[in-house]
Amino acid sequence: MDGKSAVSLEVVLDRCRHGPGQQPNILQTLLAVQEALGHVPFNVVGEIARGLEVTEADVAGVLSYYPDLRTHLSGRHLIRICMGESCVANHCSRVLRELRDQLRVDVGETTPGNRFTLEKVYCVGNCAVSPTVIIDDELYGRMIPSQVASLLDQYR
Amino acid sequence: MVRLYLPNDTSSRAAGAARLAEVWQERTGIELIRTSARGAFFLEPMVERDMPEGRMAWFNVTPDDLPQILAGKGGTPVNEIPFLRGQTRVTFANFGVTQPLSLDEYRAHGGLKGLEAARTQSPEAIIEEIRISRLRGRGGAAFPVWHKWQVARETEADRKYVVANADEGDAGTYCDRMVMEGEPFRLIEGMLICARAIGADTGYIYCRQEYPAAAHTLRAAIQKADEAGLLQSHGHRLRLEVVVGAGSYVVGEETALLESLEGRRGVVQARPPYPAEAGLHGKPTIVSNVLTFATVSTILARGGEWYSSMGTERSRGTVVLQIGGRVKQPGLVEIPFGATLAEALERFGGGMAPGSRLKAVQVGGPLGSLFPVSKLGIQICYDAFAKAGAILGHGGIVVFDHETDMVELARHYTVFTAEESCGKCTPCRVGSLRSREILERIQAGRGTADDLALLADLGETMKTASLCAFGGRAPYPVLTAIEHFGEEFRRLTK
Repeated sequence: MDGKSAVSLEVVLDRCRHGPGQQPNILQTLLAVQEALGHVPFNVVGEIARGLEVTEADVAGVLSYYPDLRTHLSGRHLIRICMGESCVANHCSRVLRELRDQLRVDVGETTPGNRFTLEKVYCVGNCAVSPTVIIDDELYGRMIPSQVASLLDQYR
Repeated sequence: MVRLYLPNDTSSRAAGAARLAEVWQERTGIELIRTSARGAFFLEPMVERDMPEGRMAWFNVTPDDLPQILAGKGGTPVNEIPFLRGQTRVTFANFGVTQPLSLDEYRAHGGLKGLEAARTQSPEAIIEEIRISRLRGRGGAAFPVWHKWQVARETEADRKYVVANADEGDAGTYCDRMVMEGEPFRLIEGMLICARAIGADTGYIYCRQEYPAAAHTLRAAIQKADEAGLLQSHGHRLRLEVVVGAGSYVVGEETALLESLEGRRGVVQARPPYPAEAGLHGKPTIVSNVLTFATVSTILARGGEWYSSMGTERSRGTVVLQIGGRVKQPGLVEIPFGATLAEALERFGGGMAPGSRLKAVQVGGPLGSLFPVSKLGIQICYDAFAKAGAILGHGGIVVFDHETDMVELARHYTVFTAEESCGKCTPCRVGSLRSREILERIQAGRGTADDLALLADLGETMKTASLCAFGGRAPYPVLTAIEHFGEEFRRLTK
């Protein structure tokens, strides 16, 4: 870890410290750490635990429970394909197949060169204009396989 | 200057409204007003303007359509859109009309009347009004709302909480998202009424991570409400905060949600005690779905009698359906309880997407039962669904077409439940995984007839022995797929 990140972690932990008589909020602390560092590497679990005065097991337990807490940095662009039932009914599996073919990675993997990470998500509430693909914070609805290549080009 | 109305909600943006706004932003002579969405998403992006004959709408607009809109040609009167005309909009009455963060517009369209009424009433009278309305929780469990409030009211404590469950995880549903993005003051108003009724001084809105726009809009709305001096409960300032989660479907279960709110693993806890007696930090807590709070304000404004005059004997008021999948007209539909599923699909779904034929309909999210064409006569109300072993859930209706492979769909459900099981109880943790393995064996052509019996057996164990509704409902989509489309499974087994 470089020096810059270490400072941010300290600052984050300081901000998340609970007052006397209060319980520490492990989840919100981990989300704040992730916001600062981009992920929550396993090697900071000890420091977080000490900062919150809880056990490392408490922190690791929360970290491993929530799918949106990441222990590894994702690629520069995070692509998520919605697997909610409305997307499934609109044959999002075909869009997923195209994404896999274009990126040459499977769900949960990152492309060589670290440009794209492909993940799935269960419903983003965009069901009425499904299938949905989310790249970073941008939502794309009514996706069809033939649009995948040009969509990816915007992020290359 | 021509004033054009363009929705700013997540789905409208994804359908093209964001692009229109981007292109038209610099145009002189037009003023873009960003509203909530009407819910007729198949028409989005939809642009509206006021004309002498009333509000006119243009459908599926592209940037090049602007001259035609400015000339006032080719529009359709909004009140003649069949999809909207056939609805009874109560909670969603102002959608598509107002700007989400304008408190003045909210007030001008009937907002805050419920809160004003509540402030002239005793807590007991508020609870009585909710009892008369016969409102049941809209998150899925359908528990009588007044009863929960009564328990929280009567439980002595130095501190009580109001929590809005905005972890809208049921795939196929988005009405909570629409409320939060489109009329956030409505949710805040409902929570304030509840806070007054039970004596709470702190409120939380637990919003799922997948809804960034909703969380953003809510925070802005809370600030505006605070500045306007609205956040008052019993003469004190009500602390109201948005808390964003980190995924996990099970967190939508109320005890798991409270665990998550306290920062722990979102694991289900055994009940009793129920949160209304001992919830957040061990204090009496009302956890209700966003839609429930959003309905409360109208009930207080217009009276419980009025609300209960709609619907069926044990399902009063309106039901908010979200019709999706392979239909021509996906969108949000609010109608009184009591229509049949077939009627709702026919009147609003508009038939199947070109080239596809209806095969199955799932109601109530990823744990809901599947219905074949022959079973669509079921009445949309809690009783009929309970009797059929199905759930209305949060009102999600997903239509699958003839190209859907039911074995693969069943496997999809088990992948979901195996991934999302919180792991606390064995039937769900192990049962979901074994179900997935059995289906994968069948798909690989190595299944036997015994495997289908084993799936049914596993399902029965999960239904009866799981700790919460997640494990208890998880077998239903799989078992109803086998029940109604058994041939597809048997074809693959020896």
